[in-house]
Amino acid sequence: MSDIVGIDLGTTNSLIGVMDSGFPILIADRDGSRLTPSVVYLPETGDPVVGAPADRMRALFPERTIYSVKRLIGRRPGESEKEEFPFVVKSESGRTLLEIGQRLFRPEEISSLVLKKLKADAEAILENPVDRAVITVPAYFNDLQRQATKRAGELAGFAVERMINEPTAAALAYGLNRLADRSRIAVYDLGGGTFDISILELNEGVFRVLSTNGNTRLGGDDIDRELVRLLKERITGRHPELRQELDNKLFVARIREIAHLAKLRLSTEDMVQVEIPFLSGNRSFSYNLTRQELEAVARPIIRRTRSHCLRSLDDAKLDPVKLDEVILVGGVTRMPIVRQFVAEVFQRLPNNTQNPDEAVAVGATIQAGILSGQVQNVVLLDVTPLSLGIETFGGLMNVLIPRNSTIPCKAGEMFTNAVTNQTAMQIVVLQGERELAKDNWELGRFDLQFEQVAKGIARVGVQFEIDADGILHVLARDTRTGWEKVVELSSAVDVSDEAVEKMIAESLDHAFDDMAERLWTEAVLKSNELLPAVRSAMTLVGDQIEPDDQRKINALVHEVEAALKSHDPPRLKKSNAELDEGTQHLATLLIDRAMAEAAKRKR
Amino acid sequence: MDYFALLDIERRPAIAEESLKNAYFRKTESLRLDQAGADALSSLNMAFRIISNPATRIQHLLKLEFGIAREARIGSDLGELFGSVVEALEKADQEFGSLSAESSALIRALAFRTMDGVRERLVQIEDELWQRERSLLSELGQIDGIWPESPAQCRESLARIAVDLTFVQKWLSEVRERKIRLEELA
Repeated sequence: MSDIVGIDLGTTNSLIGVMDSGFPILIADRDGSRLTPSVVYLPETGDPVVGAPADRMRALFPERTIYSVKRLIGRRPGESEKEEFPFVVKSESGRTLLEIGQRLFRPEEISSLVLKKLKADAEAILENPVDRAVITVPAYFNDLQRQATKRAGELAGFAVERMINEPTAAALAYGLNRLADRSRIAVYDLGGGTFDISILELNEGVFRVLSTNGNTRLGGDDIDRELVRLLKERITGRHPELRQELDNKLFVARIREIAHLAKLRLSTEDMVQVEIPFLSGNRSFSYNLTRQELEAVARPIIRRTRSHCLRSLDDAKLDPVKLDEVILVGGVTRMPIVRQFVAEVFQRLPNNTQNPDEAVAVGATIQAGILSGQVQNVVLLDVTPLSLGIETFGGLMNVLIPRNSTIPCKAGEMFTNAVTNQTAMQIVVLQGERELAKDNWELGRFDLQFEQVAKGIARVGVQFEIDADGILHVLARDTRTGWEKVVELSSAVDVSDEAVEKMIAESLDHAFDDMAERLWTEAVLKSNELLPAVRSAMTLVGDQIEPDDQRKINALVHEVEAALKSHDPPRLKKSNAELDEGTQHLATLLIDRAMAEAAKRKR
Repeated sequence: MDYFALLDIERRPAIAEESLKNAYFRKTESLRLDQAGADALSSLNMAFRIISNPATRIQHLLKLEFGIAREARIGSDLGELFGSVVEALEKADQEFGSLSAESSALIRALAFRTMDGVRERLVQIEDELWQRERSLLSELGQIDGIWPESPAQCRESLARIAVDLTFVQKWLSEVRERKIRLEELA
C-alpha cells in the first residue's frame, strides 16, 4: 500500500508531508521550498501555473491569478465576501464560481490544482505514486466547506483518508514529543483567511479537544486589505490627481503585493520604506511605514478574535489560568501585536516553539501516520465545531447534536404524520448557534416519505451522523415497514434556482433605483445619532479639552448641521465621518471617566 | 441503551471525573484496535457526553432504574432566582439593541456607564448561579453516599437536582454569552 501524505491546504500557503521512519517530514519542491503559495495563474493558452511562479503573476495578471480561494470554497453566493477580488466571482445555479477568461471554475477545482502540484512534488521525492491523503481544514469550517474541500482532494486524485482540524493538527505536532504529559493547551491559529481557537486536554497520548471556536472569514488577508486602504489614502494625500487611477486593478494588485511584504517585514523591523516606483508615468511614491501604523489598522481585526477565545474557554469550562500552554499557529502570529494580544487574553506568554507555518502540516502528517499504523499509542478525540439541528414549526432551530460533541457522533429523531394520508414532510437541516433557523447555515433539505395511514400512525426515524471527518450523513428509516434509505441533502439554492436568481436580480434593480435615497437616509440617521451624543459628551467632559479643540468640534458640528439642510448625501456622509473622527478623544475621556467612577463605586 | 454499562462503570449518581475519563479512553482505544465502526464509536462518545454531565447523567440513571423521564419540577428557590436572571438578560439585550459594533466610538463611550451597570449585574447573577451549581453538586455527593443502600429513597431528590442543574447550566451559558457580547462592544 502506498504512503499516506499529510496536507495543509492553507489560504495563503500549502504544504505536504510524509512519515519517514517514524518521523513527520515535510517535502520541499524542486526549488527547495516547503511552502507552496496557494495561488493559481490560468494563462489564456497553456497549462495552469501553480505556486510561487503563479504568485509572481499576481501583480501582472490580477484577473487571471487566483489567490485565497479557501475563502470561497463551500460558500453559497448569498454569503459573498466583503472583500473584492480582482478576478471575477460569480454565482450561477446557486453556486459560487470563478470566471477566468471564458471559463468557469468551481473554487474546489482551483484548490485541486494546488493539491495536484503538491502530489507531484511528493511523488518526485518518494519515487512512488501517492494517492492517499489526510487534508486539514479550519476547525470552524461547516459541513459544506468540508465537503467541498474533500471534493478538491478527490479531484486531485487522492483518496481522502481523513480530514483533520487545523488547530488539532498543530496540537499533535506540539504533543508528539510529550506523550507522557498531562496538560491542557489552547491553540490560537490565525492564518491568512481563517481564525480558529481550540482547547485540548493531553492525557498520556490521548488528545481530546474540549472546545473549538472561530471565524472562517478572519485573517491576515483582512490586515492586508486595510493596509492597502491606508497606503491608498497616503498616495491620494500626496497625489490627489491619482484618485481615479487607484481603482485600477493592476494598480491595486501592485499595492497589495507591496503592502503584504511590508507587513511581513514589520514583524521584525520598526519601520520600512514603502517604495512604489513609476506609480504613474514617472512619478514614484515613497513612504516610511511604521509598525505603529500597521498595528493601528491590525488592532481592530485582531481584537475580533477575543470573543471567540472567551467562548472557547467557557465551553471548555476553564479559566485561562488553568491552561498549561497557549500555542501560536499561522503566519499572522509572528506579528508582535498578536503575541501581546494573546498574552493579555490568556494571561500568560504564548508558546512559540512551533513553526507557525509548518505545525499544521506536521500534524496532518502525524495523523497520516496514525492511520497507517506508523504512529501508535496516540488517540485523537476531535469535536464538531457547530451545533447541528433541524428547523421546527415556527422557524426555530432544534439542536440535535450540540457544538463541541466528540466525533463521530449521531442523534436520532422520530417523525410522524400530522394529518391522515400525509405522504411527505420536509426536513430542513441546519448548522449554527443561533436560535432562529434563518440565522443559521442551511445545509440542505429533504422530503421524508410517509405511508398513507391515519394521523399520528406513521413512524419514520431519521439518524444524523457526523463522521470522523466532520461530515454529515443522514439516514431515514420507517420503523413500521423497515424501509431504510440514505438521504441526499439537496442544497437549498439548488431547489429554487429561479427564485434565488429572481431575488438577486430584483434586489439589484431595486438597489439601483433608490441608492441615492438610501445613502441619504442612512446618513441622516447617523447624524441624528451623532449630534446629541456630541452634545452630551461636551457637557460631560468638554471642559477637559483645549479651547482650540472645542472650537474645532463646534465647527464640525456646524458642518453636519449645514449638510443636513443640503440634501447632498456624499457631503453629509463626509461631515459625519469627520465629526466621528474629530471626537475620538472625547470618547476616550468619557471611558476614562466612567472607569474611574466604576472603580470608586467598587471601593 | 445503558451508557453506564457501555463505559463499564458502576451506576451511581456521582462519578469522579478522572475515573470516568479513564474508562472512556480505555474503551475508545480498544474499539479502535478492534477496528470497530463509526457506529460503535458514536455510541461511546454519546455515552461519555451523557455521563460526564451530572444533569444528563442523573436523568439517564433515573430512567434506567425507575423508568421515569423528567417528571420533577424546578425547585421553588430556583424559581425566585429565575426572575432576576430573566431581568438581567433582558436588560442586557435592550442595551445590545441600541448599540452595535458599527456605532461610533462616542456613542459607545456614552453607553459605557449603563453598560457597566449591566455588566456588574451579570457578574452578580453569574456568581449566584455558580454558587447554586456548587451546592447542587455537593448535595449530589451526599445523596451518592445513600444510593448503594436505598436507591428508591434518593429518587425524588435526584429528579429535582437534575432539573435544577439543567436550568442553572442553561442560564449560566446565557449569562456568559451576554458578558462576551458586552466585551465585544466595549
